[in-house]
Amino acid sequence: MLATVIQQLLNAAQLGAVYALIALGYTMVYGTIRLINFAHGDIFMLGGFIGFLLVTLIPGLPVFVMIPAAMLLTALVGVLIERVAYRKLRNAQRMSLVITALGVGIFLENLVRLIVGPQARQIPAQLPNKALKFANGVVITEDKILIIVISLLLMVILWLFVNKTLIGTAMRAVADNKDAVQLMGVNLNLVISTTFAVGSALAAAGGIFFGQAYSIDPYMGIDLGWKAFIAAVIGGIGSIEGAVLGSFLLAGVEVLTVAYLSSNLKNGIAFGLLIVLLLIRPNGIMGRAELKKV
Amino acid sequence: MRRSVWLPAALFALACLSACSEKGVKIGVSAPLSGDIAALGQSTRNAVLLAQEEINAKGGIKVGGAMQKVTFIVEDDENKPEAAATVFQKLISQDKVVAIIGSQSSKCSNAGAPIAEAAGIPQISPWSTNPNVTAGKHFVFRACFIDPFQGKAVAGFARGKMKAATAAVLYDVASDYNKGIAEVFRDEFTKGGGKIVNFETYNTNDKDFSAQLSKIKGSTPDVLFLPNYFNDVPLQIQQARKLGMTCKVIGSDGWDNQELIKMGGKDMEGTYFTNHYSPDVDRPASKAFIAKYTKKYNTQVDAAAALTYDSVYLLVQAIEKAGKADPKAIRDAIASTKNFDGVTGAITFNGSGDPVKGAVIIRIENGKFVFDSAVN
Repeated sequence: MLATVIQQLLNAAQLGAVYALIALGYTMVYGTIRLINFAHGDIFMLGGFIGFLLVTLIPGLPVFVMIPAAMLLTALVGVLIERVAYRKLRNAQRMSLVITALGVGIFLENLVRLIVGPQARQIPAQLPNKALKFANGVVITEDKILIIVISLLLMVILWLFVNKTLIGTAMRAVADNKDAVQLMGVNLNLVISTTFAVGSALAAAGGIFFGQAYSIDPYMGIDLGWKAFIAAVIGGIGSIEGAVLGSFLLAGVEVLTVAYLSSNLKNGIAFGLLIVLLLIRPNGIMGRAELKKV
Repeated sequence: MRRSVWLPAALFALACLSACSEKGVKIGVSAPLSGDIAALGQSTRNAVLLAQEEINAKGGIKVGGAMQKVTFIVEDDENKPEAAATVFQKLISQDKVVAIIGSQSSKCSNAGAPIAEAAGIPQISPWSTNPNVTAGKHFVFRACFIDPFQGKAVAGFARGKMKAATAAVLYDVASDYNKGIAEVFRDEFTKGGGKIVNFETYNTNDKDFSAQLSKIKGSTPDVLFLPNYFNDVPLQIQQARKLGMTCKVIGSDGWDNQELIKMGGKDMEGTYFTNHYSPDVDRPASKAFIAKYTKKYNTQVDAAAALTYDSVYLLVQAIEKAGKADPKAIRDAIASTKNFDGVTGAITFNGSGDPVKGAVIIRIENGKFVFDSAVN
């Protein structure tokens, strides 16, 4: 009994870690330019495929080189997308930007499908994945532990980056008031590019972990992107701590619904919770009410 | 004023010119060329193109004394019902096909069938096993067995040869095929004296099954039944093994594609599934097709490819028998098919759109699909 509970909590932790790595990108981009970047789920997918290509094209590449390399490459793509597709529209109606983001997402899905084909693939086992068996029947594989630990580590690094560095401070300032910081001499373009880079790099790590634990295909970003977006909204979009909290909460509710109620109710309960939560706290758990400027 | 008369007239002439000059028989194909089971869409297209090449090399189809070339229009339904409906609509109203082959998954065939039925265009689904596809329809046929039969076969195998007393099921609740056969299995296994300890669901595109599997692990079933497509099954088995589950695993015809082995690897060893045919069964038609297919595409034949090839020739035979490329006449000719000698076995229609065919049980051994036994 207890063994099953522990097993289910570990399942939830792994899923929540992946949600969080994606949700952070949504929340950071929203924080700086008030854009729901609907292409972000596809950046996550792209990160997984970049990792997959690195592994297959360069045999013997150590995993702890592959992950940072894939994160870096995906970060560059994220910056490029912002530069090419979003920057010109920054002061346009918000709807134009959202539609553009959707278009970028569809473009990425089809680009990857053209290059590598539509089949689902797995990133060949990179992380050690021996099964550790405990006396009470709990079985956990090493890669599951590593995925959870590395993800948490990345979140801690992000927190330090945002709160303790100069550029991080600038990011928070932009989130507060985009126009005022420009008067203070902050390079807005640099801050926004950094936001996209960091968000995309985290999503890439998520994509690689996902491809290791489950599988990757060109369309995986659609569903996972939605889930992570919802997690970010539950936590309070724009809030980094909120995105992490929302992700683990959503994964926990999903897994525990399957475990103790019925797998049929998984999405029903999870999204029902979202509605109830937003009725009580319209800005999410950690979200701040936005002041309307007249 | 003058222009408004001339333009439509010119357009009409042009349309007539292109339509009238086009001789030959047009047949539509709806297949999942992209989406979650895209590998199966490729097999479908391969089989269709192979058949088209063969038929046209012989001069085409003999329609009422004259030879006519055949053109297959292969459209992508993405394995989504709404896309399949659009494809069927387009093939019928725009391309004016005389018949449709497809789709492969039951949920897509279920979406297309009412459209073909309403338009009076004969449809042959190669691989859709859900009973609803043809039920109550006059123009809809299939080249495979149906799930009430398959579910009974797999439940019988689990109770009999595997001696399983308890079973757990994990299936995609959002897909007609998976849901249908899961329910048949549950009923048949219980009727045979077994006990279903877990009946768990997931949704199309889910990749994480660890919560459902951890729950199943807690009730230690003798056998785990996974009536899902080949893209999901390897993930489910891997995750089950990672959780330390050691029970036997069985599946259904949705497993049959090389992707299953490519992704599942050694975790697939020792599992069983029901299928439409096995290359190991010695049939001349089967041997010839496998030889041609593997030579042209350098890849293994899956049941969907074999059934698609059978559907194409079933249709061609019907058109020749009808003597005209008229949908109603073709429909009547298909319905009166007796003992068509196909790659996957003999096909005979007795008043309904479902042929009477046997199934085989396949065992996975050293990364190969090996014939285990036949069920009739």
